[in-house]
Amino acid sequence: MIEISKLAKKFKVENPKKLSEQDKKDPRLKGRFFHSVKDVTFSCESGQVLGLLGPNGAGKTTTLRMLSTALQPDGGSIKLGGVDILANPVEARRQIGFLSGSTGLYGRLSGRENIAYFGRLNGMTEAQISARIDELSTRLDMDTFLDRRSETYSTGMKQKASIARSVIHSPKVVILDEPTTGLDIMATQTVLNFIRDLKAQQVPVIFSTHHLDEVAELCDKVTIIDQGETKFNDSFDVFKALGANSLHDSFLQAIGQTAITNSASGKGE
Amino acid sequence: MWLVFQKELRELIRDRKTLFFMIALPILLFPLIIGGTLYVATQVAIGAQEKTRTYALIGAEYSSEFVDSLAAVEQFELTTLPSDIDTEEEIIAYVKEGKVDFIITIPQNYSNDVLKTGAISLTLYRNQAGLQVVERELNGIIDELSEAYQNAAFDKLALSEGEQKSLLSPITIKSINVADKRETQGENWGAFIPYFIFMLCLQGAMLPASDLGAGEKERGTLETLLISPIERNKLVLGKFFTIGFAGVTSALVTVLSMAVWTALIGVLTANDPKLVKIGQAISDFMSAIGAVDFLLVFLMLVPVVAVFSAILLTLSIYARSFKEAQGYMTPLVFVTIIPVIFAMLPGVELKGVWAWVPLTNVALAIKELIKGTMDYVQLFAIFGSTAIIAGALLAFCIYWFKQEKVLFR
Repeated sequence: MIEISKLAKKFKVENPKKLSEQDKKDPRLKGRFFHSVKDVTFSCESGQVLGLLGPNGAGKTTTLRMLSTALQPDGGSIKLGGVDILANPVEARRQIGFLSGSTGLYGRLSGRENIAYFGRLNGMTEAQISARIDELSTRLDMDTFLDRRSETYSTGMKQKASIARSVIHSPKVVILDEPTTGLDIMATQTVLNFIRDLKAQQVPVIFSTHHLDEVAELCDKVTIIDQGETKFNDSFDVFKALGANSLHDSFLQAIGQTAITNSASGKGE
Repeated sequence: MWLVFQKELRELIRDRKTLFFMIALPILLFPLIIGGTLYVATQVAIGAQEKTRTYALIGAEYSSEFVDSLAAVEQFELTTLPSDIDTEEEIIAYVKEGKVDFIITIPQNYSNDVLKTGAISLTLYRNQAGLQVVERELNGIIDELSEAYQNAAFDKLALSEGEQKSLLSPITIKSINVADKRETQGENWGAFIPYFIFMLCLQGAMLPASDLGAGEKERGTLETLLISPIERNKLVLGKFFTIGFAGVTSALVTVLSMAVWTALIGVLTANDPKLVKIGQAISDFMSAIGAVDFLLVFLMLVPVVAVFSAILLTLSIYARSFKEAQGYMTPLVFVTIIPVIFAMLPGVELKGVWAWVPLTNVALAIKELIKGTMDYVQLFAIFGSTAIIAGALLAFCIYWFKQEKVLFR
């Protein structure tokens, strides 16, 4: 299980003149610093899928980057199975699988080589890597293209290879940053099936998304972040009960914006 | 670290564009430069020689001897001057208009008895500054005639051979060049070679560098790499060594191709009478440089390549895209040229301040190695100081690689 408590991250504003009008109005901008994430708290148990929601610029990606140890938080704690991952990030990375919608592959390497490279970086032996790739290849149906150069892959093939790459080391928690953004229906389905698979294996999954139908389909828990703070953190059922008509209503309710009209609610985030 | 190196190298080898800059360019550049220069030079010379020049004479009646000598020159063709051309202005205007290539006026006092007439002064009107062929031919004729007239005069004066000699040149300087042939030629050529080598090393390292830093950002692989259980410094080192390897390969190929092609040039030009002299000179000069010196030139390049690699990687990881990286790297080429140009300036030697200017000192050391006059102790100092600079830059690069504002711009 993974526990995140009072996470905070600020970025130094290098050139205040370059900020957009919207950024300047953001209450998170204080002097020379932009407090992207101020207070984010949530947790995810084994076998649970947590959906991280929030408007654009709310701090979702920053939060997930801190979870993946790519960014270092300024405050708060992240505990994986009771162990603080910030104390030894390099070690913690062996237990985390991370995938984002914009993740790429090394085009001049084959899918197998891409996946194996990360296996080796994670300290796996060649035999372990080969066995694990075989297993993942069967599960994700990658046998036909695995040994081709990945620059020739379709979007769906790339996403499959990326998924395999992110879980080659059998992580204890999987973090997905908008994994379905920009994918077609087939590729999206691959990702959703993969999340279901992880859930069945009791691996906690945290994923951010803008698609509420995905949340309804997969999530046990929902966390909503807005302006760098946790605005909602409870089970999916409680989230669903928030809104009168739809999940969009629930979402708007949670971030303190009541639906303007019922007809507009269908277009929310 | 070697994992990263291994993977980056594999990717590198599969990239044709990088391979071209790393290997093909250094192999082809030298023969292209040397061959191209030789070809153009000989073609120009041949063209200049074969072209017929027209000329006119004023005062031809004063010397049949000189007129006959001129007529004997194959490329010269006599034309008659219109009768209305008389004054100097008119003559100049006539040549300027290109109606004739040159005009010579023979003075009234022309005679083969110079003791009686005094020195003879011919006037040559010609337009192009580059009409060297004309001057060469004219000088040949004049020298020959001068000598004949001189001898005639000496005979008349009844001077002994010794007296003739001292009369012709009362004071002469006998200069003895203590520098051997290699040293002299090294002085001329030695400064250009580091220039080419540096540029090729930089070129060879540039593409892999942009690929390894900015390329990872652009493809979206960097984030995944950053959250792999590998320490940042190892990541940087793996990438650094890959770029360095590319640069060193470039350098090695360059030095080898230089050695091979210059050895070949002697053979290739042996059958061509026009080129045999130049070809022989180049191959003699190159074969005078021993294998040890070639090896030392190569070794001196290693810290230079390390300096380049560290800077390139630092720039590359800052850039958001391949294009941006290339944009940052282009000025680096100019910055690198400056210290190398210092080394090419006359009078700049591996002494005093210049021995401590980074890159300039290496360029100068390479020049000294080519000349065969290197103080090998100094080589250690230069190698050491460059290596320290490379180390400092690498340390900065590692620090740079840990900055969130650099990685997630």
